[in-house]
Amino acid sequence: MLHFDLNLLRTGQYHDLLVSGLLLSLQLAGTTLVLALPLGAAIALLRLSPLRLLRSLGWLYVESIRNVPLLAHLLFWYFGAPELLPDALKEWLYARNIEAISAVVALTLYTAAYMAEDIRSGIRAVPWVQTEASRALGLGFLATMRLVVLPQALRVTIPPLLSQTLNLWKDTSVATVIGVAELMYQAAKVESASFRSAEAFAFATSAYLLVSLAITGLGAWYHHRYPVRTV
Amino acid sequence: MPIRPSVVLAATLATSLFAHAAWADQLDDIKKKGEIVIGVLGTDEPNSFVDPKTREIVGYEVDIGNAIAKKLGVKPVFKQLAVAARIPELQQGRVDILAASLTHNKEREAQVDFSLTTFVTGQKVLVKTSSGITDLPALGGKKVLTVKGGTQEPNIRKAVPGVDVVTFETTQQAFLALQQGKGVGYVNDEASLVNDYAKLGAAKKDYAILSQSISVEPLALGLKKGEKSLKTLVDGVLRDLESSGDANKLFVKWYGPDTKLQFDKRTFKIDSDQI
Repeated sequence: MLHFDLNLLRTGQYHDLLVSGLLLSLQLAGTTLVLALPLGAAIALLRLSPLRLLRSLGWLYVESIRNVPLLAHLLFWYFGAPELLPDALKEWLYARNIEAISAVVALTLYTAAYMAEDIRSGIRAVPWVQTEASRALGLGFLATMRLVVLPQALRVTIPPLLSQTLNLWKDTSVATVIGVAELMYQAAKVESASFRSAEAFAFATSAYLLVSLAITGLGAWYHHRYPVRTV
Repeated sequence: MPIRPSVVLAATLATSLFAHAAWADQLDDIKKKGEIVIGVLGTDEPNSFVDPKTREIVGYEVDIGNAIAKKLGVKPVFKQLAVAARIPELQQGRVDILAASLTHNKEREAQVDFSLTTFVTGQKVLVKTSSGITDLPALGGKKVLTVKGGTQEPNIRKAVPGVDVVTFETTQQAFLALQQGKGVGYVNDEASLVNDYAKLGAAKKDYAILSQSISVEPLALGLKKGEKSLKTLVDGVLRDLESSGDANKLFVKWYGPDTKLQFDKRTFKIDSDQI
């Protein structure tokens, strides 16, 4: 009864299910990361904008997303939001993998709110005198950002961004509630089909752990290779 | 040297005595506690669901659970479980018995014991008429929706090879997804399906239940493996319900012509734990 069947994880249909779940989880995390980063950067710029209206918009976005649980976001983007679309668009969307699409939308908006705050803090960490100095040297605003502020801000921001990526990777597991066949979904399926809970969740846990450790390792390496310059 | 039979017998007796001493009997524990924890779904009308007026969990399986508690002379405590959590919760002893729309099948017999069959239902598919689907084979390659962790998913996959199944935490979510058009069919136990269909009201005309069942589902109470005295007692209560006619009354109360489900008559008897 307590026997741990490693072969179940190595070959056979359960192995295939779990591996397909892992691949989908990685795809979800990858797609979301690619979409959330630029969105996060845009939100950060909104929040630093000299215009009060844009600043308020950025603030509203970050606060309204951060203060609602991810689970609620997922349920809203799957069951709620698509229903507001015109019928033709809705049918087109529903004929596709609406589960995965909703998950990517929810995860992207959610992750971008957190990333925006990290990027904003990174830019603000570069002392204002540096901007003033480069302007005094005759650089324009864009050149100042590109050559002086952003390269330094990036170094400060990468570690927290990697940490957000870590969160994003783990958050993909919540997508199981809207029927996305990711790793947790497949682990639960293997469990209910075979009652081998220990094996199924050992696989899922190790997969989450290993990918998380890889992301952490990447962060440590980057930090070592490109240390934050003290100012 | 050949071992004498009497030695073997003595050894066996000693071992079995020891085993009895080591394994506390669940029935005694329940009596000592003064309560029996009954795992129910609470989301599956009419087996177990929350009465909107009293906010209490009621239903066909709840009444059976009450009958068992009454026979034992203990307080029934109903604990709501997710479909996929039923068997693990029972195995880990967080509930004493399951009365949670649990299908009795061969695969599960290795994990838990079953009482006499308390209900026989089939699983069917509800479709939108606009999809043009009128029989099971037409579902091939189409997306159908159902609940996670039950027998619905494996059964529909068996009945319709190549079908695309998406599962949710509750049947209500799956049903909502069907109404929103996120799939062409919704799979569930017939009784629950008829109940869901009834809830559609005026929209009923846009939906149809496919006549062919995807499986026959004998539902039974789930018991922890090897708890013989508890199983004997539970089966005894069920037999009494059947012989006194109360089982039929319960059926009429929750499934009969005056209920939403409008089943004409009972086609099964509570008399066997074989499937």
